[in-house]
Amino acid sequence: MDTQLSRDLKRLFETRLNSAMKMYLETCTRCGNCLDSCHVGASIPEIKYTAVGRAEVIRKVFRRYFKMQGSFAPWLGEVLEFDDGTLERIYEAAYSCTGCRRCMVHCPFGIDTQQLMSIAKALLIGADKEPKLLSMLSDMSIAKGEGIEETKASYAEAITNLEADVLALWPTAAEAEGAFSRPMPLEAKGADLLYVGLAGAHSIVPAAAIMNAAKERWSLSFFEAVNFGAFVGDSRKMKAIAQRIIDEAIGLGVKEVAIVECGTAFRVMRHFMGKQPFKVIAFVELIDRYLSQGRITLDKSKITEKVTYHDPCQIARNGGVIEEPRRVLRALTEYFVELRPTKEENWCCGGGGGLVAMGEMEFRMKSSKVKAEQMRASKAAIITTACENCHSQLSDLNEHYALGMKVEFLSHLVAKALVRPGQSYRL
Amino acid sequence: MAAAAEAVSAATQAVAPAAAGTTTDAVTAASQVAHTGLALAFDKLEYSVMVPLVYLSLAFLLVALVVRIVKILNSPPPPYQLALYPARKRPWMAALGESLGMPQILKRSPALWVALLVFHLGFLLLILGHLDILGSINLVPPASRDMLGAGGVGLMVTLSAFYFMGRRFKGSYRQISIPSDYLLLLLLLFTFLLGDLISWGNSWTASGFVMTKQDFAKYFDGLAAFTFADPRAILHGSHYHMVVLHVVLAELIFLVLPFSKIMHAFLALPINAVRRRVWTHS
Repeated sequence: MDTQLSRDLKRLFETRLNSAMKMYLETCTRCGNCLDSCHVGASIPEIKYTAVGRAEVIRKVFRRYFKMQGSFAPWLGEVLEFDDGTLERIYEAAYSCTGCRRCMVHCPFGIDTQQLMSIAKALLIGADKEPKLLSMLSDMSIAKGEGIEETKASYAEAITNLEADVLALWPTAAEAEGAFSRPMPLEAKGADLLYVGLAGAHSIVPAAAIMNAAKERWSLSFFEAVNFGAFVGDSRKMKAIAQRIIDEAIGLGVKEVAIVECGTAFRVMRHFMGKQPFKVIAFVELIDRYLSQGRITLDKSKITEKVTYHDPCQIARNGGVIEEPRRVLRALTEYFVELRPTKEENWCCGGGGGLVAMGEMEFRMKSSKVKAEQMRASKAAIITTACENCHSQLSDLNEHYALGMKVEFLSHLVAKALVRPGQSYRL
Repeated sequence: MAAAAEAVSAATQAVAPAAAGTTTDAVTAASQVAHTGLALAFDKLEYSVMVPLVYLSLAFLLVALVVRIVKILNSPPPPYQLALYPARKRPWMAALGESLGMPQILKRSPALWVALLVFHLGFLLLILGHLDILGSINLVPPASRDMLGAGGVGLMVTLSAFYFMGRRFKGSYRQISIPSDYLLLLLLLFTFLLGDLISWGNSWTASGFVMTKQDFAKYFDGLAAFTFADPRAILHGSHYHMVVLHVVLAELIFLVLPFSKIMHAFLALPINAVRRRVWTHS
């Protein structure tokens, strides 16, 4: 590797050294309490797949370039210099980590491996070794934001074509007249809420039915919530992608932005983008609110099998939405059972951090064996979740490990159980 | 060397006519014989370790610690919230509880937790015990010959350090360990063991204690008063070399501490607070 690139990577590393990052790099005592925290390490017992194993790759580079021992006694910390071999190790560490932060729950200091892996991802971008697919998808999202005016008409047409599907789930729009008289209002001035979906009818239709049932004054975003910039670890792109939605929300003057069932998109908007003139909520929080306010009612007779819930990492332990989906599920069925371990201790599905988008089927299946075992142990017939990535990964696991479960979005179960006016139902 | 031999001979002659209980006087006599050559150089080296280097290493420790902590905490804050949920009602109290109580380790590795508790408590008592040697602090009655814990505190840290070392050689723990982990543990272990030997060695001599808490108090008071007096005049006997070695290792710990993972002692609270502080709207 040429010296100039090595210098550039060192400078890039330095830009990431905020106070928390320095503590994450300096504090680890290698106590080993995180050795079996990671689903990858628990499924493939190799040190490089443990939280400490991954973090040490970055620490070894840190010791080489930012600690005295790196110059006078490199053997003390087994330091790593920037070279092709080191970059390969960095890649393996960064893209075998889903950023679920389960290890952070178990660390006595709270060291955030996802943050350390954000250094790894930044270095890979600096060395032009990042997964090109994720970069390309990020660029496409940004380009869509720049040219949104040109695509609005075709998007509106596609949305109109979905109206019948929405009405099949709930027969009316939110209001009889005016801006909210369409089943899926677009650019609806005076909306209280902006709903941001994904590229796919499944992420919009059931949500639209639920919001219409609750008589929400809402508007559908022109953008998809998914943030590939976050997956690839490019904070500039991550912000640019989120900013498109922020600008749209500010333009409409909404009070709230509800993010589709997508963990990373939710966490980025709620926790990474600073204070905004609107509130950011996960869609499952909105359903919970509708239920508590009596704006929707659910028919408990619709689900007669055991249902369990997979906490998406970025929504639950990293996003703070833990009890809401449980309240929704208890309103939905009498057959809800918890996964074990659950809530902040829940195993990651193994599809986060861009892995589902990148394909990586063989690794995803091998590295999530422990998740499949957890799903099987629940003895549930249905596993529901509130994240697109998790849904894809759980579906793949279900098939690969022949678990025989049904994998469902929570919003879909809710939409199917909406009690229509005059309908008999069981509470 | 000849001079040293003469000194010992003189001491022996002094002991010969003496009654029981005069061994200390004999050793003192040996200590007071003027050294030359290598023995003199060794004396000077020991003096440097026991007096000026104590000041220098302590000053270095304090300055380096403050500089390092200030530099870390004064770095730009993380650009976004890094909290973990469920949120705690009192984040700083939660962080304090986690820093002191290590509930994560208690839950997953109870044996390690016990060892860590014994080690950390022992270490705190060790610091207290050393401070207690100062004449102005009397946690243990000044008349007592023992330091705080009468050897028990040393046992606490030594046994737990042995446990940590043994653990480092086991399976996955061995794989995540780096050379500095072993060296740091070795440094601590040897320092503790020497401290134990000084403590126990004192009690094993035929005439009882050679160096008592009162003797060490004179040495510490001298250091506190910056008298620069040679401690050899106070701390008698061959144990003195063990004391010097103990002090050398302690000084080494002072020098490496600000650059080692022992920094966790100072960063545990702020780093745990990052995990517990929720500051974005929800």
